[in-house]
Amino acid sequence: MSERTATKDPVTDKPVVQAGGLDSGWKERSIGPIGAIILAVIFVVTVELLVLNEILNDIIVPRPTDVFSALITTLSEGFFYRHLWVTTLEVLIGFVVGTALGFALGALLGISRRARAISYPYVVAFQGLPKVVLAPVFITIFGFGIESKIVMAIAISFFPVLINTMAGLTGVDPQARRLMRSLNASEWHIFTKLSLPSSLPLIFAGIKTGLTLALVGAIVGEFVGAESGLGYLLDVYSYQLEIPRVWAITTILAAMGVILFLFIEWVDRKVVFWQSRRELSTGM
Amino acid sequence: MTEPRPRTDVLPATGASIIETRGLSKVYQSASAPIEALADISIDVRPGEIVAFLGPSGCGKSTLLEILAGLISPTSGEVTIDGQPPRPRAEVGLMFQQALLFPWRTVLANVLLPAELREKTDRDWKARAHELIAMVGLEGWAEKYHWELSGGMQQRVALARVLLLDPEILLLDEPFGALDEMTRETLDLEMMRIASDAGKTVVLVTHNVYEAALMCDRIFVFTPRPGRIVGVVEIDEPQPRGLAFSTTTEFGERVAQVRGLLSGDSDE
Repeated sequence: MSERTATKDPVTDKPVVQAGGLDSGWKERSIGPIGAIILAVIFVVTVELLVLNEILNDIIVPRPTDVFSALITTLSEGFFYRHLWVTTLEVLIGFVVGTALGFALGALLGISRRARAISYPYVVAFQGLPKVVLAPVFITIFGFGIESKIVMAIAISFFPVLINTMAGLTGVDPQARRLMRSLNASEWHIFTKLSLPSSLPLIFAGIKTGLTLALVGAIVGEFVGAESGLGYLLDVYSYQLEIPRVWAITTILAAMGVILFLFIEWVDRKVVFWQSRRELSTGM
Repeated sequence: MTEPRPRTDVLPATGASIIETRGLSKVYQSASAPIEALADISIDVRPGEIVAFLGPSGCGKSTLLEILAGLISPTSGEVTIDGQPPRPRAEVGLMFQQALLFPWRTVLANVLLPAELREKTDRDWKARAHELIAMVGLEGWAEKYHWELSGGMQQRVALARVLLLDPEILLLDEPFGALDEMTRETLDLEMMRIASDAGKTVVLVTHNVYEAALMCDRIFVFTPRPGRIVGVVEIDEPQPRGLAFSTTTEFGERVAQVRGLLSGDSDE
């Protein structure tokens, strides 16, 4: 509680807006969640009324009540869970492998100046590439099954982890390195006890972006060519003009993304516990 | 005032000095022209002595400290610490202007870092760390994190950390330079008491004439471009000293002498 009073700009004496300020604002002022719910209710009711009065065509925008019943129907059908499982598997495997790969390569590039110099043009080129264009290529190579989607999720999610790991490791405070060297620390100790922990805030920021992108990768892969998965289901319903179903699947995908994101954010807060606190501290 | 004799002869076999440099120089290669950071530095520091490297920014005093700490090597000349070439080791402790506490470690874990890095298990380091934390006036703060500490308290933790391995020699690079004047003075006096009680040799890098005159037995006065020693001022007052020393005529005279050396060079 007292920490919040400490968050003033030392110069202007105005409260400092922090990263995660939205979050703490929500906790403090209960107007946040209530206001958000009211906003959602207003939006849903407005759409419902617009479609009921045929101002909006229900082929273009379905009635929210239809979407809701489509959602209930979808969730009660057994085959839906097979598709949910496939997509979940693609996202999780893609995310875990992508993160591991991104971390390993990022660490290599962060540690070795030579590796950085050699691979820099490729890193830049890959950064500029809109990675969704790789989907057809991966379908060709790995087929219509789950493998091509996993590879797509890896390809799209490993990059932010790589970049942030590299940036974190190369941005370690040189004075802190000097301290470690004066204490006769080995290179391994400098890495494990200084460079790695001080890079963790950036690495986790990369992992969060990577997670969202893994979902994008898996769905794009399914759009381009698949036999199962939520993206495939979305595609099928869309062709059949089952618009309430399309929105129901979209809602499920959004929920999936939010759940995964909240989980990673929870892990982030546990692992990088000092980061939010550092923003709260005043002075040095 | 005694000029350092620019000796190039062999090192004395007696080893009366704990820190010795002879004709030391450091040249940095830059894009345009080489920069002479240090030129012809010959100093002797006796065991238990508290000395200052004093001078304006860019005079090479911190470079010399880094050479003594074994972090960088000189371009030419000789240097020995305790009769050996400098290298990072337990007998030499280095302290910086920033506390450099790791935010993911508690006060205790920060203080224990030097023992952890050396994988030393030969004694109860935890007990010693707690002792040192109490000695620097932070009893009860061992489990806190650095964001709960003021700047002065953070430097106290850094002081406890550098003392953990009980180094004979303390190399201090403007250790309290980032703190406010009152806090700096308090910590200076405490540090001096700790060092002289334990008979430690201290090298203090500073640009503060008063700090140097208050704390040190001898002041090596540096001037920049190239970084060289223009004179040495001895302060004949037993350690540990109190703030009262800063009101004596001896103190005033020595400060004036240092100022003379610093400005004398720029008049040339």
